[in-house]
Amino acid sequence: MEVTTWVTKHVGGDGSGSKVFTEAFAPGETVRDVLRRCSARFPELDAALWSPDRAELGEHIEVVVNDAVLGVTHGLDSPLKNGDRITLLGQFMGG
Amino acid sequence: MSPTATATRPTKKAAPAPASVPGYAGKLLRVNLSTGKIWTQPWAGDMREYLGGVGLGAKILYEEVGPKVHWDHTDNRLILATGPLAGLPVWGTGGLTVVTRGAQTDGATSTQANGFFGAALKYSGYDAIVVQGQAKKLSYLYINDDVVEIRDAAHLKGKDTWETQEALEAEHALSGHRMSVYSIGPAGENLVRFAAIQGDYGHVASKNGCGAVMGKKKLKAVCIVRGTKALRPHDPRGLVQAADDIAHDLKTDPATSTLYRWGTLPGVSNLYKLGVLPIKNYTTNLTTVDMTTWEPAKLRAGFDHRGHQCNACGMHHCHIQVIGKGPKAGELVDEPEYEGWSGAGWQIGLTDKESITWLNTRLDRACLDVNEFGWVCGWVMECMEKGYLTEKQVGFKLAWGDVDGAYRLVQMISHREGFGDLLAEGVKRASEKIGGEAAKCAVYTKKGASPRGHDHRGRWEEMLDTCTSSNGTMESANATHQTEIGLPGRINPFNGEEVARMVGGILGRKHFEDSLGGCIFTFRTRVEMLARALSAATGWTYTLADAMRLGRRTAAIFRAFNLRCGIGTDVEYPSPRYGSKPVDGPAKDHNVMDQWERMREVWYETVGYDIKTGKPTRETLKTLGLDRLAKDLWRK
Repeated sequence: MEVTTWVTKHVGGDGSGSKVFTEAFAPGETVRDVLRRCSARFPELDAALWSPDRAELGEHIEVVVNDAVLGVTHGLDSPLKNGDRITLLGQFMGG
Repeated sequence: MSPTATATRPTKKAAPAPASVPGYAGKLLRVNLSTGKIWTQPWAGDMREYLGGVGLGAKILYEEVGPKVHWDHTDNRLILATGPLAGLPVWGTGGLTVVTRGAQTDGATSTQANGFFGAALKYSGYDAIVVQGQAKKLSYLYINDDVVEIRDAAHLKGKDTWETQEALEAEHALSGHRMSVYSIGPAGENLVRFAAIQGDYGHVASKNGCGAVMGKKKLKAVCIVRGTKALRPHDPRGLVQAADDIAHDLKTDPATSTLYRWGTLPGVSNLYKLGVLPIKNYTTNLTTVDMTTWEPAKLRAGFDHRGHQCNACGMHHCHIQVIGKGPKAGELVDEPEYEGWSGAGWQIGLTDKESITWLNTRLDRACLDVNEFGWVCGWVMECMEKGYLTEKQVGFKLAWGDVDGAYRLVQMISHREGFGDLLAEGVKRASEKIGGEAAKCAVYTKKGASPRGHDHRGRWEEMLDTCTSSNGTMESANATHQTEIGLPGRINPFNGEEVARMVGGILGRKHFEDSLGGCIFTFRTRVEMLARALSAATGWTYTLADAMRLGRRTAAIFRAFNLRCGIGTDVEYPSPRYGSKPVDGPAKDHNVMDQWERMREVWYETVGYDIKTGKPTRETLKTLGLDRLAKDLWRK
């Protein structure tokens, strides 16, 4: 799992670059399960990633699975397979 | 230097002062370049509904520019407007909105820039400048409080925009923030259809050929000495509180904190991950370049840089920098926005950072829109690679990433030399003229408006917005804090219906922002906060709902203007390449055209316009308080 840009501030980084974690998961576990387990280790990430009621994702962090934003090839409840890559990409404005 | 025309000094004949509205200067400055007449017009009556900036500009454009007055007609208006927050202590409030009938679409245009122009204009006692007519010879407009003069600009002919500003600063012995200058370079003088208006070293009103309109009027520059008129908000304490809240929000909100810290630099590495960075004219979305070197901290650290903030701004966004290595070492340049890295870089296969910053500034100095230049130059490069254009046609060999060749093209276009004369018409017209396989490679909208510097095949919102908009560029722009108006925080970017509901749902927000006299980046806060600042400035109470309604009014006025000009629903489409299917990268195989018609249907339904005619419905116009427009649009 790769955490990038300002989101790295929530996982011990300086708000730039990226940090990569390897997450083990059981067969049948989903994108949501892995995100839950990872964010549980980082309270600031947990607050930033999920909506206030923690039911769904909040609006400021883009979740990309294997280079496709969530909703394209994977949903939150799609199962993962070995080697899948999840990227947390901070929303940015401008251009 | 003797002026060729001088405004009336305050005398007993001067226009009576309007009832004072806090936050406003209360006057429009009118300039007729054909006759040399300069006068002021009181403005107060409809401020509350039109606000200023693009709202005011749209009203003037609709009322004063008829369908037969094309972009290059002397009766076209060039409106340089600011808004009620300009010059007040809110971040980034030097804003300028240019409204005109533009050269690329021959339709309505609104395009923004910052720096100090808006504040200087307000301190001089004006909310907007409305220029009409055409000067007999190249001229510039000089404004120093009540002294307003049309002056001979023969000595500025051919100078680029930075040289023009330097010359005027020297001439008036004023520098720094004591005088704001917005000007055109050679591209504007030579009526290049995508000429921009550039000011205060690096700020550009770039869209829809507004610089060509200025060139047609033979107006080289507008320079405003920072005036001496006092500006008074209705509730100074309330305004400062609102401004502090906005600043706090920009610094701390996840979505805006990167803007606060890095400006738009994160766009390159972020958008690449989403397949939205245009690479080599939409031929690929992949690169072998190490993208970690394109993260914002590394981009900025590669140059000797310092802040170049606009009026009252505390963001770490705009920077001036010196190129430290390579053949251009030692040159002072403006730090490119994301659009510069894209249009003067990745889109043309150029990834050398020093070369991109140099070329980007050269484009600003020539006054060429970096987006359209990217589409033009990338098109030529691809066509030469594939043999659709020959060295004989172009005049020299131009390959991907050739910065010197690209600059040669800048000069040819700016001066309309050789093949540059055709390219100066923009990629739509140039590719249509060449035809054949070459025509299939061009990125443009059928309306003629330039897409921004993204690969919109991975960002359908912007493609739909660019194609349906009525202002020569994106009209809804990016969704920002859209949950405050009841829209979802996230959508599936490849679900056409969700995309269309989002684009239609946020229509109005940007026009509201652009009516206030500030910056798109410092206004990326909640609309409710901007409405609070506006209320404190003016003494009138504005709500979130008011803000959205007033923004949508402006959109409806632009739509009516364009329909009157004959710009209808038949041109709301991307060119074949622009609407093509990406062959690789994160957006691979997602085909926007599969869903295009459904997207249009949902968009029309969401904004309350009629899809057959393109008109805002009677109900929509009534809701917006535009009954008069309903009579114009729907009369039998």
